[in-house]
Amino acid sequence: MASTAAGRLGPGAWRLWALLPLLLLVGIVSLFASSGASLVDLVGRAPPPTDEFDIRRVEFKPGEIRIRVTNPQRPKLTIATVMVDDAIVPFRLDGPGTLGRLRSSTIVVPFQWVEDDPYTIGVTSSSGIETTFDVPAAVETRGPSPRGFLGYALIGFLVGVVPVALGLGWLPSLRRADARWVAAFMAMTAGLLSFLALDALAEALGLQARLPSGFQGPGLILLGVSASYLGLTFVSQRFSATGRRERSAPLEGAALATLVAIGIGLHNLGEGLAIGSSIALGELALGTFLIVGFMIHNITEGLGIAAPIARGERISLTRLVALALIAGAPAIAGAWIGGFLTSDLLGVFFFALAVGAAMQVVVEVVRYVARRAPGGLRSGPVIGGYLAGIAIMYATGLLVA
Amino acid sequence: MTRRQLLVTAAPAVAAVPLAKLALSGTSEAAPPPGHAGHAGMAMDAPGHAAMVGHEAPAPGGPHELDGLLHPPNPLPHKPGRVREYSLTAVDRQIEVAKGVFYSAWAYNGTVPGPVIRATEDDLLRVTFTNGGSHPHTIHFHGIHPANMDGVFEIVSPGETFTYEFPARPYGMQLYHCHSTPLKKHIAKGLYGAFIIDPPNPRPPAQELVMVLNGFDTDGDGENNFYAVNGPAFYYAKYPIRVRRSQTVRIYLANLTEFDLVNSFHLHGDFFRYYPTGSSDHFEYTDTVMLCQGQRGIIEIDFTNTGRFMFHAHQSEFTELGWMGFFEVVD
Repeated sequence: MASTAAGRLGPGAWRLWALLPLLLLVGIVSLFASSGASLVDLVGRAPPPTDEFDIRRVEFKPGEIRIRVTNPQRPKLTIATVMVDDAIVPFRLDGPGTLGRLRSSTIVVPFQWVEDDPYTIGVTSSSGIETTFDVPAAVETRGPSPRGFLGYALIGFLVGVVPVALGLGWLPSLRRADARWVAAFMAMTAGLLSFLALDALAEALGLQARLPSGFQGPGLILLGVSASYLGLTFVSQRFSATGRRERSAPLEGAALATLVAIGIGLHNLGEGLAIGSSIALGELALGTFLIVGFMIHNITEGLGIAAPIARGERISLTRLVALALIAGAPAIAGAWIGGFLTSDLLGVFFFALAVGAAMQVVVEVVRYVARRAPGGLRSGPVIGGYLAGIAIMYATGLLVA
Repeated sequence: MTRRQLLVTAAPAVAAVPLAKLALSGTSEAAPPPGHAGHAGMAMDAPGHAAMVGHEAPAPGGPHELDGLLHPPNPLPHKPGRVREYSLTAVDRQIEVAKGVFYSAWAYNGTVPGPVIRATEDDLLRVTFTNGGSHPHTIHFHGIHPANMDGVFEIVSPGETFTYEFPARPYGMQLYHCHSTPLKKHIAKGLYGAFIIDPPNPRPPAQELVMVLNGFDTDGDGENNFYAVNGPAFYYAKYPIRVRRSQTVRIYLANLTEFDLVNSFHLHGDFFRYYPTGSSDHFEYTDTVMLCQGQRGIIEIDFTNTGRFMFHAHQSEFTELGWMGFFEVVD
């Protein structure tokens, strides 16, 4: 019957019919809602809401503490009293006092805090439930300023761009190296990217556990991983299509190097974000040692980009600079975002993007190695290179852990 | 001493200077008369919460709302056998225990603490108790009475009524509370109040006040989130108690704080006579008393100076969680 009706309406009518389930859904939902959800009463009584806030960020400014709170639950939540170290303190609100679901507000507490001392911040809802947040040590949070902007940029540059550029410096020696050595370095690239993928996944999973359940962290991770993996798959397809090769051929040369750079760049975006927010929240003492650690840790990333272009036509210097920027500069953007916004939500998403990107690049590199390496995937240099990649990342990672 | 403890002791000292300035600027509507000696001492004694005065104090309610609990009924002369009747009804009720914080309390006559019961020694006390709540309750009076009037075995179920009848004795500051199990829950929820028995020889006239020390565990973790006297946190910081210097101030004091081992009362800028349980003429001349749960006594203050004087628990934590107020002493 439907098909005859659709036939009468013309070939595009299936789109109209597709609306039918949606309209029915709206009708049933409104019927259910207007009945007062008495269904719940048949099977029991809904428990009271937990009435806990999600304290997203505590900032220390001269003479004041700023507390960013979000309502993670469906029922509304009202900020009633605020405590600092178990003492009720006067406060004013920068935002609404009653928060709808996932809405935020900033509580401003005039307070003479003591540098480096631990604090416990408490926010009590109108139903008397207190949510606490422990600050391990109070350090002044710096707001966006040209100085801070430059500082974060410099940190991102040092831990991202510099090591990658230095790593690319291995290119001349790679060019003279034996084919087996190049294969080993390619395998090493795959190894280090596998390490980065797992590292980013662990970061994403850790961060999402801190998110209110309303944000559905695991789903967000899957979305990020799929988006970057499939996005890069699409891009690499375009690279092969324009490169006059058969579509199924593995990427190589500059195209593969670019792909590796994108994968590493997305990881550095997440890394920069993590570093930036840690500094902003006073969780990280960013000493010279840590910067040096990150530089050593990341220098192998440059080697990974250099390996695919060790064979074949020469690459111009501007192209190399571009590769270094693609892989390293996202650390600067990440440090800015982390330093000034500090959003766990963005952190989860960025790290998930890094996971998918790294995975996709590993697949591309493995395809390349399988076809080009003397002896294929089972050869000694390839297996050794892959393991060496992981081992190097692990060992240098000890410097920044 | 851990880092954290160090901080707790150091923080008020750091805050003292700016807060002292705030206190001196006089934010309450009842501005103190200029040139009295009280202020400097107050600010030094109680740094950290001196700013919580007048409209700065985050207390719920309007002025005079607690007058019924603060001012006891007038004493009657000694007349053995006279019947004194009270009726108390336990109800379930949401009360505002701190600014914007609502608590599902169990309350005699709808207030926490319950109404002040007063009799003269040898009066026959008749208290009609109706349980209008949803759980079994009783009233257990402190004092001397028959076993079947003790409020322990005669559990009053919801909807039922029971009449307690016994001679009021001995004189002093007594108290009453629910004795249903679980005891901790029934007291923490708010079923308690002050019970004054006047001596046969009347006490000299005074400005009489009742203060019941209490706390509220609003999140049910077995620790109080707020502390107060007569109910809402910081109420007497927002509305200082006005007293005259020319006449003795008599406070009937009782501690009904659940969960914490002790509570205390400390007066700034003066000393007082403390009569434990108010049962004899023996007193201690002091400015701080400590009471365990159920302990009570009578305080008599002859203020030396006019001005605004703080009173609070001398447990800083309780003070900063609401158990703090002011006397406004005028000529």
